[in-house]
Amino acid sequence: MLGLAQLFAGRLVKAAAILITIVVLNFLLVHAAPGDPAMVMAGEAGAADEQFVAQLRAQFGLDRPLTEQLATYVGKVVQGDLGYSYRQQRPVWDILWERLPATLLLTLTAFLLSLALGVLLGAFAAVQVGRWSDSAITVLALLAYATPIYWTGLMLSLLFAVELGWLPAFGYETIGAGYTGLDHALDVARHMVLPVVTLALFYMAAYARLTRASMLEVRGQDFVKTARAKGLGPLRIETRHVLRNAILPVITVAGIQAGQLVGGSILIETVFAWPGIGRLAFEAVLQRDYQVLLGIFLVTSVMVILFNILTDLLYGLIDPRIQVAR
Amino acid sequence: MKHRLAAIHRLVAGGLLATALALPAAALAVLSAAPALAQETPVRGGTMNIIVQPEPPLLVLGLNQQGPTQTVAGKIYQGLLTYDQKLNPMPSLAKSWTVSPDGLTYTFKLQENVKWHDGKPFTAKDVVFTTSKFLVETHPRGRAVFSRCSSITALDDQTVEFKLKEPFPAFIQAFEVSSAPMMPAHIYEGTDYRANPANATPIGTGPFKFKEWVKGSYIHLVRNDDYFKPGQPYLDGIYFRVIPDGVSRALALESGQVQQTQYSDVEPFDVPRLRQLPHLEMTTKGYEFVAPMSWLEINHRVKPLDDKRFRKAIAHAIDRTFIRDKIWFGLGRVPTGPINSVVKFHDPKVTVYEHSPDKAKQLLDEMGLKPGADGTRATVKVMPMPYGETWSRLGEYLKQALGKVGVKVVLESTDAGGWSQRVANWDYEITTNFLYQYGDPALGVARTYISDNIRKGVMFSNTMGYSNPKVDELFAGAAREIDPAKRQEMYSEVQRILTDEVPVVWLLEMEFPTFIDKRVKNANTTAIGVNDTYDDVYMTAK
Amino acid sequence: MTNRDFWRGFARNKGAVLGLLLLLAVMALAAFADILFPGDPWEMATAPFQPPLSGDALLGSDMLGRDIAAGIAHGARVSLVIGLISTAVALLIGVTLGAVAGFHGGWVDDAVMRFTELFQTIPNFVLAVVLVAIFTPSLTTIVIAIAVVSWPPLARLARAEFLSLRSREFVQAAVTTGQSNLTIILRQILPNSLSPIIVSASLMVATAILLESSLSFLGLGDPNAMSWGYMVGAARTMIRQAWWMSFFPGIAIVLTVLSLNLVGEGLNDALNPKLARSRG
Repeated sequence: MLGLAQLFAGRLVKAAAILITIVVLNFLLVHAAPGDPAMVMAGEAGAADEQFVAQLRAQFGLDRPLTEQLATYVGKVVQGDLGYSYRQQRPVWDILWERLPATLLLTLTAFLLSLALGVLLGAFAAVQVGRWSDSAITVLALLAYATPIYWTGLMLSLLFAVELGWLPAFGYETIGAGYTGLDHALDVARHMVLPVVTLALFYMAAYARLTRASMLEVRGQDFVKTARAKGLGPLRIETRHVLRNAILPVITVAGIQAGQLVGGSILIETVFAWPGIGRLAFEAVLQRDYQVLLGIFLVTSVMVILFNILTDLLYGLIDPRIQVAR
Repeated sequence: MKHRLAAIHRLVAGGLLATALALPAAALAVLSAAPALAQETPVRGGTMNIIVQPEPPLLVLGLNQQGPTQTVAGKIYQGLLTYDQKLNPMPSLAKSWTVSPDGLTYTFKLQENVKWHDGKPFTAKDVVFTTSKFLVETHPRGRAVFSRCSSITALDDQTVEFKLKEPFPAFIQAFEVSSAPMMPAHIYEGTDYRANPANATPIGTGPFKFKEWVKGSYIHLVRNDDYFKPGQPYLDGIYFRVIPDGVSRALALESGQVQQTQYSDVEPFDVPRLRQLPHLEMTTKGYEFVAPMSWLEINHRVKPLDDKRFRKAIAHAIDRTFIRDKIWFGLGRVPTGPINSVVKFHDPKVTVYEHSPDKAKQLLDEMGLKPGADGTRATVKVMPMPYGETWSRLGEYLKQALGKVGVKVVLESTDAGGWSQRVANWDYEITTNFLYQYGDPALGVARTYISDNIRKGVMFSNTMGYSNPKVDELFAGAAREIDPAKRQEMYSEVQRILTDEVPVVWLLEMEFPTFIDKRVKNANTTAIGVNDTYDDVYMTAK
Repeated sequence: MTNRDFWRGFARNKGAVLGLLLLLAVMALAAFADILFPGDPWEMATAPFQPPLSGDALLGSDMLGRDIAAGIAHGARVSLVIGLISTAVALLIGVTLGAVAGFHGGWVDDAVMRFTELFQTIPNFVLAVVLVAIFTPSLTTIVIAIAVVSWPPLARLARAEFLSLRSREFVQAAVTTGQSNLTIILRQILPNSLSPIIVSASLMVATAILLESSLSFLGLGDPNAMSWGYMVGAARTMIRQAWWMSFFPGIAIVLTVLSLNLVGEGLNDALNPKLARSRG
């Protein structure tokens, strides 16, 4: 148990170091941007004179030296304050906090679904190696892996929402329907189907390919041969010995790819009007909302680190011997 | 002199006429604007759902005048006046008004029994505070207008007098709710306006009170039972629904979840489809006060853009009817010159530039810009406005249209921040832009063309760097002139000069589609349309 | 390995042969775009919203009457060029850093690996979006953004190769003969670690094309370049009116990326025959 605690402590220290670096990096990055946020705000008010723009700059500290702004920002982040969005006139943390559940719901569901289905399909293909079902799965995986997710999303919504009318094409819930309790959960679930499937499909393909390859490799190893020689049943060999060992590299890759899953949510949330931080990120970039953008960077990086820890836990579940790996 | 007196007489008479109309004002005004609708007896009750997009940053209209803020806060706050769709002033918080013969003194009589939402009485003191202290600090347009006053005085609790330093007839156009929203003195006087904790729960005099704001979802306003017009408003409340996605907004309108959309809520390409729906009414009226005009903004500091023949060639090279029909899907009017045709003093008798690539080439030939080996005569950089797809399409169209006459276009892309920064600092060659005209050329048109307003770093100024002393003189003269006929003469001349020199290439008098459910009556009847109070709006059952 | 061995290894993978044919077709489309569809793909050549197979537009036209087929042909250039150049830049960054880390070891290795890890933690698509948006979209910024987010796996790969090759006898021999580090890296180690790098690079071209199309889809493409992602992005909101506007460019992306993935696998089989056999 001590090993696990140490592992987590080490992870946390490393995560903190990475986060601080990201904060500084991002701060410098967005300040290299050509836009002046005070000007944007003034523009949106329909008129702009010098006094108004200067007022806005002073109000949001944009007239301070860059180093001072950075110091202020890092200091505040350490205290859990992600700053204030001048564009939306609200604390950044409040804005992110509202959007975060939708994104977590979408990406976590897609992550688990893609992992489960991917491993299942990959294992099935490996067992059936060389038969038509193996080929079908391989071709499907190849296609899914080559398809841009935003396009998959568009085509699925064209088919299932526009043409067939089975599922809602966009949004998080039926607007103004006022559902509560179970009805609300079902409503959200219906809205989730298309975005989750779209996001999961791409990663499922990756995991299926990896699982298949990994299982085929493990099969040829000595301990499997030994198990076979001991006369264990084929199903038992495939699940207990082959799959269990073959799945480890899949989980490692899944942990690394989690970050891309979060990035992919920008596209999916744009296509399906999903009210999460992916959409927020894109809106913030277009509106030059520096503070929100910095906040999203931090939060998505934290999400990636959390996904990594999650995969570590999965790793531990499947193979209790491995605790201090990597 | 005689001429002038007659004009003043007309002005004063206009004021008196308005006074006479004041008592049954709302009903009559509505009657004249929409006679068919006012026939029925209004029904009490019902809740309206309106789209608001993007979500406003805050609802205190004196502090923020973005479009969505105006639509919501226009129901909470009120101005002294509102305007009919011909831009004539109508009573709102002011019951009547007079203008002195010399055009220097404006006296407003306020409505009686008006209370703020917290129960305190609304008096002339609030008007003086708003116009002499609050707006001049927080509101760029308000500052420009009210800094023209030498004094603003409360003669008694119901009477306010504005004295101007010099005549400015456009003054009467500056009192609608977004230009001069009345703010409560008892809450704001002596405080830091922006940091006032009361900003979270706006207090106005309007027919609807702020109830609840679930960020990212909706803003709920409820009926103000103490509204000064007896029996009004008719609605129990209004929900403003935040729906960030264009497709979802169209769907919400289609399915009847919302009863109204406005401005750019519905994308142009959805308009033809939605206007076919039997339960919806579409109109492009109600934007007369903002009267948006879009144009190709051209930096006169860059060669060969400084040559008016080149700008004329551009005007001939583009097909504005195509732009209207194919890019804006039929929304908008092809303009003749700098003043929108719904704004006062518009004059169509000017030089008009029809679509003619041949004429464009001829003008370029005259300039000595001969086609090179690849057919290119000149290369210009075009930076389309980063305000959505329609503007990007326009950029792509311009590239093609100018390419056909040998002007090669390099498209530059930018974000909202970069765009306004580069335009304000004159770091562009050609861009697209649109400005609101606010009912009078002195308020919304002159600012683009006068050389006084060439101010580096300031958005919506004369960013082209266009300068013509004659134009300056005419705009300045017309702003001071109180005889409407003489004003018309000067504005006509300025329009003739500007259409000959083409400081910008006018593209479109933009129209916004307002969709309203047919069950909703009396909505969108004035020049500020969806931003008005809706105190006389009601809904029928079916 | 001889050429014949290589081709035999490659040809054993039927998918790879199919992929190569597809890829050659896409390259031909890009090369002959001007002959097949002369003129500018932005040209409003026909009436807007023409369905496929109508008169003068084989695959239909878009909202301004531009020919979808012409856009796809000309877009092939943009996609391939961006894919290739950004991969080259990513190779330059990744292999250099990986080589330095693997060859030097010690604190240099540590520092480089921490740096690589940092880049792997930042969600890479988010970073690409931010980079392109901040430095305004153009072919250059897009290429740089893609390269910046794609190099870390290459660096790790190169480092692993260098780490294992460094202790091998032929490298040690070169060290004792007094060759400079640079010469050793370029002459001795790099050529021997090339095959896994080539395989990764070929797969990376596919990823780069996907990334470029995703950026363009969000409106972060070069406004002067007709690209497939732009076409799908511009068609997104028109999907009810004109499905063909987003369908065909999407197919083009799928086929190109698929062909590159297949070729990459074929290369893998041909260059690492041992691994290929063990995978059955």
